Amino acid sequence: MKKRHLLGILLTLVLMIVSACNSGESASSDDQGSGDSSSTENQTDSGSGETGNKDAEEQEQVEIRFTWWGDTGRNEIYNAIVDRFEEENPNITVKREFGGWTDYWDKLTTQTAGGNAPDVVSMHQFYVSDYARRGALLPLNDFIDSGIIDTSNTPDSVINSGKIDDDVFMIAKGITMSGYVYNTAVLDELGIDYPDLNWTYEDLEKLSKQVVEASGGEIYGTSDYAGGQLQPNFRYYLRSLGKDLFTEDGQLGFESDDLNSWWAMWDSFRQQGLIPDAATTTEYEGAPLEQNMFVTGKTAFSQIPANQITLYQNQFDEGEIQIVRIPTPVGGDSGEFIEGAYLSVTESSENPEEAAKFINFFVNTEKSLELFKVEQGAPGNTKMSEFIKPLLEAPQVRTVEFIENTVELAKPAPYSPTGVTELEQVYKDNASAIAFGQMTVEEAVVDFMDQAERILK
Amino acid sequence: MEVVKRIWKRNWIGYLFLTPWLIGLIGLTAIPMMTSLYLSFTSYDMFTSPDWIGAQNYLEMFQDRKWIASVKVTSIYVFLGVPLQLSFALAIALLLNKGIKGLKVYRAVYYVPSLFGGSVAIAILWRQIFGGEGLINNLLAYLGLQGMNWISSPDTALYTLIVLTIWQFGAPMVIFLAGLQQIPVDLYEAARIDGAGRFKQFVRITLPMLSPIILFNLIMQIISAFQAFTPAYIVSGGTGGPLNSTLFYTLYLYQNGFTQFQMGYASAMAWILLVTIGIVTALVFATSKKWVFYQG
Repeated sequence: MKKRHLLGILLTLVLMIVSACNSGESASSDDQGSGDSSSTENQTDSGSGETGNKDAEEQEQVEIRFTWWGDTGRNEIYNAIVDRFEEENPNITVKREFGGWTDYWDKLTTQTAGGNAPDVVSMHQFYVSDYARRGALLPLNDFIDSGIIDTSNTPDSVINSGKIDDDVFMIAKGITMSGYVYNTAVLDELGIDYPDLNWTYEDLEKLSKQVVEASGGEIYGTSDYAGGQLQPNFRYYLRSLGKDLFTEDGQLGFESDDLNSWWAMWDSFRQQGLIPDAATTTEYEGAPLEQNMFVTGKTAFSQIPANQITLYQNQFDEGEIQIVRIPTPVGGDSGEFIEGAYLSVTESSENPEEAAKFINFFVNTEKSLELFKVEQGAPGNTKMSEFIKPLLEAPQVRTVEFIENTVELAKPAPYSPTGVTELEQVYKDNASAIAFGQMTVEEAVVDFMDQAERILK
Repeated sequence: MEVVKRIWKRNWIGYLFLTPWLIGLIGLTAIPMMTSLYLSFTSYDMFTSPDWIGAQNYLEMFQDRKWIASVKVTSIYVFLGVPLQLSFALAIALLLNKGIKGLKVYRAVYYVPSLFGGSVAIAILWRQIFGGEGLINNLLAYLGLQGMNWISSPDTALYTLIVLTIWQFGAPMVIFLAGLQQIPVDLYEAARIDGAGRFKQFVRITLPMLSPIILFNLIMQIISAFQAFTPAYIVSGGTGGPLNSTLFYTLYLYQNGFTQFQMGYASAMAWILLVTIGIVTALVFATSKKWVFYQG
């Protein structure tokens, strides 16, 4: 008797679960139906020439997911690129996911942990080692060897920037370099000379003083870069001194004196009123580009990645956005290292080959680059780099020129060890404690070094 | 065994009807909770499998400066915010209970903030109101006063969030109002005949008659205040800054779990929170015998 009842319950359970799954699936396929998959299905039936060398079995619909960070402008561009890829590969449907920078990483962590990370993910140097060392990314060497991802026109330095140890874990969408921008119209109006391409923090201090004086205290020299992210600013500074954030074996690559001089310098800028006070800095923290201090005319200089020059130029009616290198300490060496946005395939991907194919389309075809241009940096593929040049507008040309000029100065940078996000939080908290006057520079440095030792042990 | 069998035989259809709820309870509450209890004794970065480390997560908390800061912030928020919010809700409910015209409209209007009070939109609005060039400072400037950057100053940031909870007084207010309308009018009439003034009527009749409802509101609001997350997350941009002054317990928990890859530690924090809420609720219940008056 009892058994029969149990069976009944089990059956009901199974029924409910099955029906729940069904409704979920049909809902999602309806979703795609409203997009462009209905048209692609027809194409599959008629058989397309591009993928004709494949078995009929493999022609079955495959779905991959692709995710990126960025604003609405970027979303439009990337959606268009994906559309073109789907046109060319009627058997592959690409589901798109996107979000702002911070949300992007929070979401990706959660998805990866839950085992449902997208197939193709946008990657960044600062985080790649965290993911790769934890086994969340697929090494791409086989796809490169078999030619699915073509790297014949990509310089070694760019390929290497996506390597961890001997494996390639990510392919560059675009590479970029960081610099300081200013608006010519703003400096003209204040009657201040433009900074030199190679300038120092002493020059920054001098020019900022002039800005504050000429504007009657209305405009600050620059934002407060003492805290926030560990790179690029602090990292450039350390590299100019012949050091770095981390060593190859994942230890701290600098001494307390280096951090001391860095924070003391910014503290002195703050005391002199050349950069905003702590509360103002906090208020603008995380503000979208349209509302940040530089765009709203509260600072004369701002540190940005060179690929964003166009985004900034679009915010101003007057003047040109020009870019110079990040200042070095007086007598310092160059601090440059290659940054950029990359694409990786996740370990959990069920269709890694299609994912690799998508990456190849994204970085190596005219159809894609025609739209991408320099959206997240200059293309890693030199042939594509030449191809897009005639298509560029003036601010984009400035981006490419700056990247070409500074990439020659770039030297390799060790990857961040695990625990880097926690370390960055300590860096940020302590810099902020100095700014609010809760800690002296010396106290903050001692505390940072203590905590760094604990985190990186 | 025989008994169990008999009960089962009699009730199995009942359990069958319960299954949708049971699935939810087991799948969405019981299993995740037990998993998190297990994880709280491990070091778990979400990528590799968890390592058993015993009570280390729990011990570590008491040496974690940021954890201590988050406990402090949350305590101030709960023990200052909740009484203020309830007093405010009660005051408005008393005002509305005067039998004014259009009561339904007022009730709805005052209830609205608590409908979307926990939402992202309101938190963003709060940034605008209390920002350096926000509404408050403009008003102050109009009065010739120099404002300050309320949200970005460590001394005031938390209080702007407390003001936000007070502003969401609608839900407890509606419940108070319903309670007030249940109090028999003859009690007041009798009191008036005996010469009791308004204040005396409030203290001797209204408060005791309303005390079960006060207890209910108090417990509900304490629980939700301990769990507050959205306002701090949005207003501080997810950082809990400036200087950890809005680092709510849940926000720090979230940071540990989802940005620092320390899910074991985050789970341990969650269990401490659960136990704390349990203890505080139990304490409130224990004292309630002294001040809650049940009629009849």
